[in-house]
Amino acid sequence: MNTIEKLKKILVTDLNLEELTPEEIDDNAPLFGEGLGLDSLDAVELVVLVQKYFGIEIKDMEEGRTAFQSVSALAAYIDARLAAA
Amino acid sequence: MSNEQKQWSSKSIGSNWQHQIFYILIRSGGKQLAYLLLFFVVLYYVLFRPSVRNRSSYYLKRRFPGRNSLFMLWDSYLLSLGIGLTLVDRAILGISGVENLDVSLEGREILVNLLAEGRGLILVTAHVGCWQLAMSSLSALDTEVNLLIHREEGDLDRHFFEHAGEKPPYRIIDPAGYLGGALEMLQVLKNGKLLCIMGDRVMGAEGSTISVDFLGAPVKLPFSPYKLASATGAPLAVIFPYRTDSGGYALKVAKIIRVPENLGRSANGYLPFAREFVTALEQFVTEHPYQFYNFYNMWEKTD
Repeated sequence: MNTIEKLKKILVTDLNLEELTPEEIDDNAPLFGEGLGLDSLDAVELVVLVQKYFGIEIKDMEEGRTAFQSVSALAAYIDARLAAA
Repeated sequence: MSNEQKQWSSKSIGSNWQHQIFYILIRSGGKQLAYLLLFFVVLYYVLFRPSVRNRSSYYLKRRFPGRNSLFMLWDSYLLSLGIGLTLVDRAILGISGVENLDVSLEGREILVNLLAEGRGLILVTAHVGCWQLAMSSLSALDTEVNLLIHREEGDLDRHFFEHAGEKPPYRIIDPAGYLGGALEMLQVLKNGKLLCIMGDRVMGAEGSTISVDFLGAPVKLPFSPYKLASATGAPLAVIFPYRTDSGGYALKVAKIIRVPENLGRSANGYLPFAREFVTALEQFVTEHPYQFYNFYNMWEKTD
């Protein structure tokens, strides 16, 4: 399972997006607002989940801002951090 | 934040020139003249501006149920005088300096010890007393203070540091910013710093509220402080600043709340902690009935 697929599964199960399946999530849809419909407190939850499942602590919130644009952006961020580790 | 949710306004009563009169009095004649003028100004507003009485009544009817109209008028005067005093004192702090007001921090050691845990510290307060004076007393903690606050365009009130043309002694996080400032708040806590949030008004994201009984009826309050505490493991302290009988100010640590980690996304998981906050707030308004300054119907829209 690649990072994007793993992320989608985490979003659906841990953020309780019960109305969606991982397959229905668009890789490039915005995570917040009109895309997946997550709100700002979900961003807090997402930071925690990324640390829990990938061991990556998003300390620099400017990086987080870029990473949280979409599932594919977040996956790219995670992959880059893992590669640099 | 949706307009539907936001029922309060930070805009002040009175025009710019009326505010300036107070500032001139403080600069030239000292604070006693400003206080003297305030008694008459408040009397005028309470007697001749029904909107002032109306805005006071939402809280007063809950705090003093069954009061007759004469007592309600007196309560409205005392409540309006209370906020007037804090506004004058805030201007005094900015114009004349903190040495002209007695400001104390009760429970400093408790806060220092909580900060020493290294997971940041969330201070949850409310629109009581004069929170800006409270913020000034937090400088005694020798750490960066961050405050989640929204300021409206056209707000005539100056923050106390603006009177002196100084930079703010705390860092402001704007809830109207990216993701309601959630990532900034998270970063503050991850860096082990101090984060202050108003627990009695919704300033953050849409949908991030929880219904809790306050003074006998449900209100919607933000649960973001408790969620942040759960996500980061940061301890949470409920603090209330208040005006003392001697005309000084004190900041009291009312309650320490420990939120278990990883409570998740559901708002209901945070209900017990929001209730703890409300219990502390109810205790505060019992002790200081004329120092609660939410002049809107916070009980209006609930599920």
